[in-house]
Amino acid sequence: MYVAVKGGEQAIARSLELLAEARRGDTAVPELELAQIRQQLRLGVARVMQEGSLYDEELAALAIRQAAGDMLEAIFLLRAYRTTLPRFGYTEALDTTAMRVRRRVSGTFKDVPGGQVLGPTYDYTQRLLEFGPTIPATVVEAEEPLAASMPRVLDLLDAEALIERIDAGSDPEPIDLTREPLMFPADRATRMQNLARGDEGFLLGMAYSTQRGYAESHPFAGEIRMGEVDVLVCPEELGFAIEIGSITLTECQMINQFHGGNGLPPQFTRGYGLSMGESERKAMSMALVDRSLRCDELGETSYAPAQNQEFVLSHSDSVEASGFVQHLKLPHYVDFQAELSLLRTLSAQHARTANTPIAEPVVKEHAVATEQAFDQRLSVEAQS
Amino acid sequence: MLAAFADPVFDSQRNFRELLQAMARPMQPRELPLLPPSPAPIAPAAMAVLLTLCDTTTAVWLQQPNEEAAQHLRFHTGTRLVEKPAEADFALISEPASMPPLEAFAHGDMRYPDRSASLIVQVAGFRTDAGARFTGPGIRDSAQLSIDGLPQRFWQQRAAMAALLPLGIDVYFVSANHVAALPRTTRTLES
Amino acid sequence: MTPSYNFAFLDENTKRMLRRALLKAVAIPGYQVPFGSREMPLPYGWGTGGIQVTAALLGPDDVLKVIDQGADDTTNAVNIRRFFSRVAGVATTERTSEASVIQTRHRIPETSLREDQILVFQVPEPEPLRTLEPREAETRTLHALADYGLMHVKLYEDIAQYGHIATSYDYPVLVDGRFLTSPSPIPKFDNPKLDHSPALMLFGAGREKRLYAIPPYTKVESLAFDDHPFEIQQWEETCALCGSGKSYLDEVVVDDQGTRMFVCSDTDYCGQRQAEMPS
Repeated sequence: MYVAVKGGEQAIARSLELLAEARRGDTAVPELELAQIRQQLRLGVARVMQEGSLYDEELAALAIRQAAGDMLEAIFLLRAYRTTLPRFGYTEALDTTAMRVRRRVSGTFKDVPGGQVLGPTYDYTQRLLEFGPTIPATVVEAEEPLAASMPRVLDLLDAEALIERIDAGSDPEPIDLTREPLMFPADRATRMQNLARGDEGFLLGMAYSTQRGYAESHPFAGEIRMGEVDVLVCPEELGFAIEIGSITLTECQMINQFHGGNGLPPQFTRGYGLSMGESERKAMSMALVDRSLRCDELGETSYAPAQNQEFVLSHSDSVEASGFVQHLKLPHYVDFQAELSLLRTLSAQHARTANTPIAEPVVKEHAVATEQAFDQRLSVEAQS
Repeated sequence: MLAAFADPVFDSQRNFRELLQAMARPMQPRELPLLPPSPAPIAPAAMAVLLTLCDTTTAVWLQQPNEEAAQHLRFHTGTRLVEKPAEADFALISEPASMPPLEAFAHGDMRYPDRSASLIVQVAGFRTDAGARFTGPGIRDSAQLSIDGLPQRFWQQRAAMAALLPLGIDVYFVSANHVAALPRTTRTLES
Repeated sequence: MTPSYNFAFLDENTKRMLRRALLKAVAIPGYQVPFGSREMPLPYGWGTGGIQVTAALLGPDDVLKVIDQGADDTTNAVNIRRFFSRVAGVATTERTSEASVIQTRHRIPETSLREDQILVFQVPEPEPLRTLEPREAETRTLHALADYGLMHVKLYEDIAQYGHIATSYDYPVLVDGRFLTSPSPIPKFDNPKLDHSPALMLFGAGREKRLYAIPPYTKVESLAFDDHPFEIQQWEETCALCGSGKSYLDEVVVDDQGTRMFVCSDTDYCGQRQAEMPS
């Protein structure tokens, strides 16, 4: 006699026990401390904070440990916690010109005021696995401190009016994408919020595609800078801004060729990326994708995936993507049963009529016709 | 200053469930279980609706604003009070006889018909054994309701607006401790 | 109940946002209301929309039932029920008739619902036109114009090619004669239960950030043609456990030879019938 499977509750309880055991591993090995993760896995912490949209190193470290190092799971954990936090207010816009720079490079000028500053980077490490214990680092003090003021490289071009001007005060107040749904078309501030939370791997691939001819925009890395920036809030009852702390940020300003269009003269244009912690790959990818998504505004032909804002913004979020891809492992047997019985019907019919021609599919032509009618209607709407 | 809900979490929840059923079953009055104190000209039932649904992200228009009512609303909900009916997410009509025409309120746009005003209209009373008959989504066969103190032009303006569906305005009528909803889809049957 | 979170997990501002959106959804039957979907502690695609709707509804007096594929004991249903008893402390049940709120994935219970019950659907893709037109800006316009030609042609093409409409679940419906709506991936067997239901039905799509509703006693038509009327699935078999010939059946493979048997997908309905059988 068949008995329907029961015991989901017990199965989940046992699974959680197995997970806890696997996560901890051999108890003879000491458990990771959060300070170790913060200190020694700082780039992982930065990514989890950035894509988790919460600047809190301790919580990011906790999430990484709880997720056994699965970054996407850690990001998900942090996001789910973030949802429950009360909102006290919004900070003033960050001033990255006043960043206390630890790294700053420009690909466009050999030297710039304030100099090129390599800082801590993997760029020139030769990528040889270092067997044996880590040798404690000794850092030789610089003879001169870094320049107190480091103007942004793009501001130098701005003085010559060769690069597009963007008036800092001209942007409308951005919406908060964590509280409001994404709508299309999305303005630049909204797009940037989405990209900032977007999966680094997805953005990297998208950015890469723009370099391989899918929306080529001839980028130059105008400036990449990393360091600490003060965070200011202006409480209504005080009426003036106060500093509540500082955070580490990586900023990338891309310079892109532009031959003019949409009423604009030939000039350099900008792509912008900003990311928490030391996260150059993310900031650079974001800057390239930001620029490619500006195609409509700049009157450029839009044909490539990286120029299609619905495509990019709807698929950038790892928490959304990971959940939906993996939901396929949930039971679907009701729908599968529906498909089974349909397929049996179709298959039986196919066997009966194997030698008779099948009617031509018509949907493609109609889709084109519908699209044309649709465009006409829209233009009528726009005129009225 | 007057108090709001004694228990904000559960009082809002219980009132919301009645509002939801009221909207789902139009023109069938339901009892609001918890009425908070309210400054004139806001009726307690209207206050219950405002406390349940409004916060810092909503815009409210008062037909008869006064300092005490405005302060009370701002303090307890943080809501934004607006001057023009067209800017309101929620509009409180405390004197239906002199209410602005329905066209004065937002009725959504074709791609987003939900971006429309909800009116809270304080009326003198309901009678379920008299008045016009209504039909539409949420109504099994038909519902009968007479609303006291509502000007005839309200029905004329609403009938005119029906041509714009799915654009429209949704209304909560309140009287004493009862609420009856009139979503845009409800149709008046010819008598 | 976990004290560090608000009742039913969500903060009150979020609940109010959901409640406002739900009221608009009910006022415009079948129309997809955009809402500020929050990140939930369950993955997107696993019922985050349904969970947010349920969280906005629940109060201490509610009795919650959660089903997935018609069954109360599937792991995801268990997990969601566990979540709400942890963060809201509400009573839960497996009996359809005892529940005040029923959250479901992929089925509508066989037992008729009552006016005092609310059915909450988990929806993966709220846009019925999405597979035919991926761009949201365009599908919004098609809904604004009530232009559903794309869908009619898709169904017509099925008939031309296969002699049947080749959609067996998530079968599109027209709500109140106006909005083309996804019933969520329920088998088309369940579509007739949407029409003039005594219970209010709410739909939540968390990942896609949309809510919609079918009010009670509302006309819900499954799309069809005059010469190809809408038909639901039928089985030659009856349930091997309760003998029902009226319920949706799951096909179960019981041995290595591929022997099949058919049992009710709705475990509560099947269990009730078995309990009533003379032993």
